[in-house]
Amino acid sequence: MTEAEESLVSFKDLSVSYGLVQALSGVSGTIHAGPTGLLGPNGAGKTTLLKTLLGFLSPDRGRMTAFGLDPTREPLEVRRRVGYLPEQDCHLPGMTAATFVAFAGELSGLPRAEAISRAHEVLYYVGLGEARYRNVETYSTGMKQRAKLAQALVHDPDLLLLDEPTNGLDPQGRDEMLSLIHDIATRRGMSLVLCSHLLRDVERVCDDVIVLNQGRVARTGTIAELTGPRRQVFDVRLKGDPAAFLTDLRDLGGEWREGEDGHRVFLPEGHGPETVFRLARECGVQVRHLRPGAETLEDVFLRALGHEIQG
Amino acid sequence: MPIYDQGYRRYEARAPLRRLRSWPITREALRLILVKRAFLGLLVVSFLPFLIRVGQIYVVTRFPEAGRMLPVDGRLFGEFLNQQIFFTILLSIFGGAGLIANDLRTGAILVYLSRPLTRRDYALGKLGVLLALNLAVTLVPGLLLYAVALGLAPEPFLHWSQGWIGPAIVVHAFVISVVVSFVALAVSALTRSARVAGLAFFGLVFGLELVRVVLQQGFGRREAMLLSLQADLQAIGQALFGLPPTGPSLHWTWPVLVLVLAGLACVGVLRSRVRAVEIIT
Repeated sequence: MTEAEESLVSFKDLSVSYGLVQALSGVSGTIHAGPTGLLGPNGAGKTTLLKTLLGFLSPDRGRMTAFGLDPTREPLEVRRRVGYLPEQDCHLPGMTAATFVAFAGELSGLPRAEAISRAHEVLYYVGLGEARYRNVETYSTGMKQRAKLAQALVHDPDLLLLDEPTNGLDPQGRDEMLSLIHDIATRRGMSLVLCSHLLRDVERVCDDVIVLNQGRVARTGTIAELTGPRRQVFDVRLKGDPAAFLTDLRDLGGEWREGEDGHRVFLPEGHGPETVFRLARECGVQVRHLRPGAETLEDVFLRALGHEIQG
Repeated sequence: MPIYDQGYRRYEARAPLRRLRSWPITREALRLILVKRAFLGLLVVSFLPFLIRVGQIYVVTRFPEAGRMLPVDGRLFGEFLNQQIFFTILLSIFGGAGLIANDLRTGAILVYLSRPLTRRDYALGKLGVLLALNLAVTLVPGLLLYAVALGLAPEPFLHWSQGWIGPAIVVHAFVISVVVSFVALAVSALTRSARVAGLAFFGLVFGLELVRVVLQQGFGRREAMLLSLQADLQAIGQALFGLPPTGPSLHWTWPVLVLVLAGLACVGVLRSRVRAVEIIT
């Protein structure tokens, strides 16, 4: 299978603007089958990319294809194969979850009887089986998120677009939602795009990641590639003034950033923990704690955004 | 049961897209409106003029001399439909104010537009709700009244020269329903609050009617009739059914022109407001 056949969505040199505001400028990338993370701070252009994929926005420049179709020219064909969980609250006033999800299925083209049957199945799947005859307006935030997920799933889309699905959830609710998304991606084999500014959410669910910043693609690749053992990473706690140590580290080609308890140190290739001890000795500081670590998605993210990591 | 163990069935039998994609929108919105008892009460009340007119036809057939005070001819249907304009406005306020406003408030518009539906499908689906309600109190009782008239008084009505009454009822009922529905829907799209939309539609219709009355009766300005939606619709009814004008009026082409322009303005409002993405420039 060629890369073009395997990719669900591809975009090249894509620029999208809201009036005078440039939301995406010349982004290129590919979304393959499987779970893909779309990562970036608020205003990075993540939602704009999803809305362009749904055919809501027309690109000023460049081209996007989804399932080999142009979302601008054939939005209906694209949308029938996509399930979308919007970031903001969305429910139909006066409807129970069962009616709401069945109605969503019908709007997606399912026959009425099939839509009703699938609505009940999907509501059980997302954990709202017992509450499916309650009005969605009376739901908690977590339940509303699940109802939104159910309406996105009801027609069994080829690609699920999840825009900040854990927004507003407490830790337990978030954990359950991520478990559910992970299950959809792994056991049910559905491709999905998880759009989030929360690194841990993406790290838990996705294989591939696209990092967006200020309307541009900052990094792209598999999480393994981006966080792989390319660099030696250590969490270091020092006793004494660390300024000289950090300056010497930078001169050596290393990087560092403030950690929760000390510093996270990134050593250039070919260097190991002995370099940390040597630099500390030379600068007159004591190493009180040294723990090897892997470069996390958060490190990649911050590096991609070009700030916070010093070096 | 943990969520992992719960089933999820893949659905492979994807059917081609429906031709009438707006139908589920109309059906669900009608269902939600018609479960409200107060609304059903209003629908029942809006049939009272029909019953009164049936009574009028019955009385005149039994006591022909009553026909001098209550004439039963083609004009009766025009007068009846012009009265029903008031009920279409009430039904549109209570049934239509929230149709788009609520979707904008709750974000439901994204549920619709992220599906294989165009903005036109969505607007047509919502328009269908108001059209169904308004035709239910204009076309349905209008044609029923005509059937009653044919049954009770065949002599004046079952005649070739009176053949225009049926088509005139259909045309006037559609003109009233389409115009009132379009304006109510456009007003609903202008705000995120059903209450504000209802008040705005009420103010637009009855406020302009008040201005018309003041200008026409106080200053004798006959062109003031163009300001009022009700007066414009009534003028078309008067032209269709040969009714005498109730005050100083213009030729029927003027109200038609005003209503066409109002319709275009409504389409413009719907085009700009029914969007999945709000673009602020």
